[in-house]
Amino acid sequence: MAALPALLGRASVAAVAVGLLACTPVKVPVPPGVLTVSQEPQATWIRNFNPLLPHGLARWPTRNGIYEPLMIWNPLQGERVPWLATDARWVDGTQALALTLREGVRWSDGAAFDAEDVVFTFTLMQETAGFDASGVWQILEGVEAVDAHTVRFTFQRPYAPGIDRIVGQVIVPQHLWSLEEDPTSWANPEPVGTGPFTEVLRFGGQTWELGRNPHYWQEGRPAVTSLRFPAFPTNEQATLALMDGEVDWAGAFVPAIDRIFVGRDPEHHEWWFPAVGGAIHLYPNNTVPPLDQADVRKAISLALDRALICKVAMYGYTNPADATGLSGGYAVWKSDSAVQRGSWTDHDPARAAAMLDAAGWGLDDRGRRVDPQGTPLALTVTTVSGWSDWVRASQIIARSLQELGIDASVKTHDFGAWMQKMQRGDFELALGWGQAGSTPHPVYRGLLSAETAMPIGEPGQTNWHRHESEEADALLEAFETNADPQDQHRAITALQDLMVERAPALPLFWAPSWGEANTSRFTGFPSPRDPYARLSPNTGAEALLVLTRLEPR
Amino acid sequence: MTAALQVLARRAGLYALAAWAAVTLNFLLPRLMPGDAASVMLARFQGQLEPEALEALRETFGLTDDGLFTQYGQYLGHLVQGDLGTSIAYFPAPVSEVLIEALGWTVLLAGTALILSFGLGTALGAVVAWRRGGWLDRWVPPLLAFIGSFPYFWLAMLLLAVFGFQLRWAPTRHAYADGLAPGWDPVFLLSVGQHLALPLITLVIAGLGGWVMAMRSTMITVLGDGPVTWARARGLPGRWILWRVAARAALLPSLTGFGMALGYVLGGTLLTEIVFGYPGQGYLLLQAVQAQDHPLMQGIFLTITLAVLGANLLVDAVTVALDPRTRR
Repeated sequence: MAALPALLGRASVAAVAVGLLACTPVKVPVPPGVLTVSQEPQATWIRNFNPLLPHGLARWPTRNGIYEPLMIWNPLQGERVPWLATDARWVDGTQALALTLREGVRWSDGAAFDAEDVVFTFTLMQETAGFDASGVWQILEGVEAVDAHTVRFTFQRPYAPGIDRIVGQVIVPQHLWSLEEDPTSWANPEPVGTGPFTEVLRFGGQTWELGRNPHYWQEGRPAVTSLRFPAFPTNEQATLALMDGEVDWAGAFVPAIDRIFVGRDPEHHEWWFPAVGGAIHLYPNNTVPPLDQADVRKAISLALDRALICKVAMYGYTNPADATGLSGGYAVWKSDSAVQRGSWTDHDPARAAAMLDAAGWGLDDRGRRVDPQGTPLALTVTTVSGWSDWVRASQIIARSLQELGIDASVKTHDFGAWMQKMQRGDFELALGWGQAGSTPHPVYRGLLSAETAMPIGEPGQTNWHRHESEEADALLEAFETNADPQDQHRAITALQDLMVERAPALPLFWAPSWGEANTSRFTGFPSPRDPYARLSPNTGAEALLVLTRLEPR
Repeated sequence: MTAALQVLARRAGLYALAAWAAVTLNFLLPRLMPGDAASVMLARFQGQLEPEALEALRETFGLTDDGLFTQYGQYLGHLVQGDLGTSIAYFPAPVSEVLIEALGWTVLLAGTALILSFGLGTALGAVVAWRRGGWLDRWVPPLLAFIGSFPYFWLAMLLLAVFGFQLRWAPTRHAYADGLAPGWDPVFLLSVGQHLALPLITLVIAGLGGWVMAMRSTMITVLGDGPVTWARARGLPGRWILWRVAARAALLPSLTGFGMALGYVLGGTLLTEIVFGYPGQGYLLLQAVQAQDHPLMQGIFLTITLAVLGANLLVDAVTVALDPRTRR
């Protein structure tokens, strides 16, 4: 009798084992028209659709799918795409900005969108410091509705770059948000927006799905019926899903992508990493001798083989930067003469050695660079541990400097520690990103301005290398106060000359925007043949251009 | 019985002290890390945001420049009220809400793995000791030691690559198939089982060796003891002696080990969860550390601390109940 239960037990164990392993895993097919997107690495989803909270807290695409900005900056086309606003014009120099709003736009609950919503959103940001992530109220004096479809923004002082912060702002509905008592800790679980996708169809820790806005203002758009978001905790997991064709659109870094991703389905697996944003720089600390001399910084730059760095450290996904630090996204601003004179981004070790000799750092009998007192030149390249591309780039840089006779080494830090060192100016040489925007203004504000250079030890959010140029500040101000494109161009050209002459930071390569698409179920993804936007979903409001263009096959 | 209660009461005082020390460390350790949550968040956008965004972030997260003591007082105050604070990585969800779901999956995965590896390992250890010198004894312990010396996350990646990715016998991520609604229906449960299979096998294989060795060595001592000799002399069947006499006596130290291991269930599966994308507490901890999310880190450390202390208390209670010698 005792044998029977034991036998049954064994049989059931065997049955379970067979059930688990031998039969194919349970899979629920994805209906046609449902676009699977992987944008943020997350273990579990938290239901947060508050677009005014600082970036990265609300689920993608809260700021570029549920809610919409007034206009979308498209760096590939170099143009501002009218969205909730159809027109922006300067009034009174660059002292005030008037926006004309699109007519016929409705919120997803059917209510009409008008100027009061825009004024309400900006006023809410003024009252709630935590909502003003772009710092508009540091430059803004007031905002008023001129009529139902015109809004006028007045600046504290003439400030042309302010247009980016204003038109990039997403707008929330007054008729619902004014009822909310504490919007700062409100997760906005049932969002009502103007965007193409607003209806949360289901929400779980592992997957959630977002359906179409029944009242969307673009006739017949979007063609995609809903967006699905599986949670991929790591980049590796997202890559596996991409390879398997489970994801239609992603913004992940994938190593050796032609072999790993394209190779599995060359007909449908596409990637495109256009580099039109900021540059990755090697920052020399401008307060640490001898890095305070422009010639020493230029000599270091000449020793670097940027093509090798791009090929080996970046898998050939990007191109070497030039001395202006302006990527292809700023083509209309770029000064050819500045690019030509900025020959210190060439690879020329002989010239580098000659410049170091001239700067007083000759070679001693052991092949070391020493100052006249005989002290050897030792420099450390600081980088983030675990960011394998940056670590590889730093190693190549250190080796190039060693060949020049400099005692160079690489030191990696945990991200938090690295960030703190950068902000406080506690480094000698360090890899870091530069600012980006719709004009070169934020780029040079971060690279040259005395205004952004904090004393060593005090945290600075940009200008980590501490370059102070009063000249640059005057040029930046000339740009800010002038709405005339020609005057603006003159200021930016002079800033490029200053950048090339001073070499405050050493541009290495352009930061690529990661974007992958599986075209087997949808058409209309951006590509080099149809470059209407960047393919990457990580680029903010540009995603709206893609989401409204895609069509199911 | 009163003696037993007195012993336990004395122990409970000690546990309270340990809990306080652990809670204080939980508070201090995250704050010793350089950097802060707002900078980390800002950095994710690599220059796409205005530098001014940092102030907005600090404001939203309620990051203060209060002294450590003030913060510690507030932390203890909230903790007493059962308030673990608001998570930063999962803003604005309360830490308790973020923890509870992840905790469930981790308990399912690690708990099942512990029970299976304990059960299998102990039984195997008993049998190996019983037939010591036989082929089983010659091959099983070295083989298990060999497998056990692999880093277990490496084993996890191997299983994922072979069975998940190449052969497609098992899913490669998550706790159940996308598109299924959680519930008690058989399809959902089957899916949960399939998703559990690979991480579970990894953990069981990794944990088996220890249990086998522990049981084997105790068994060998017990097999030379009086009761076994007595049972042999009485002519009792071997199987009866193995399970009813020897294994029973040898089980006690392993049982203590089991209780201790119970406490480490919450913290011990971090790498397996990361490899298999299993939505448990381990991955949550990684994300909390990366985002410098102090409240979430504190919450996770607290659950781990409480689990370890609770398991120890349980082991103490069981030992006191089973063994009269501990009651003095």
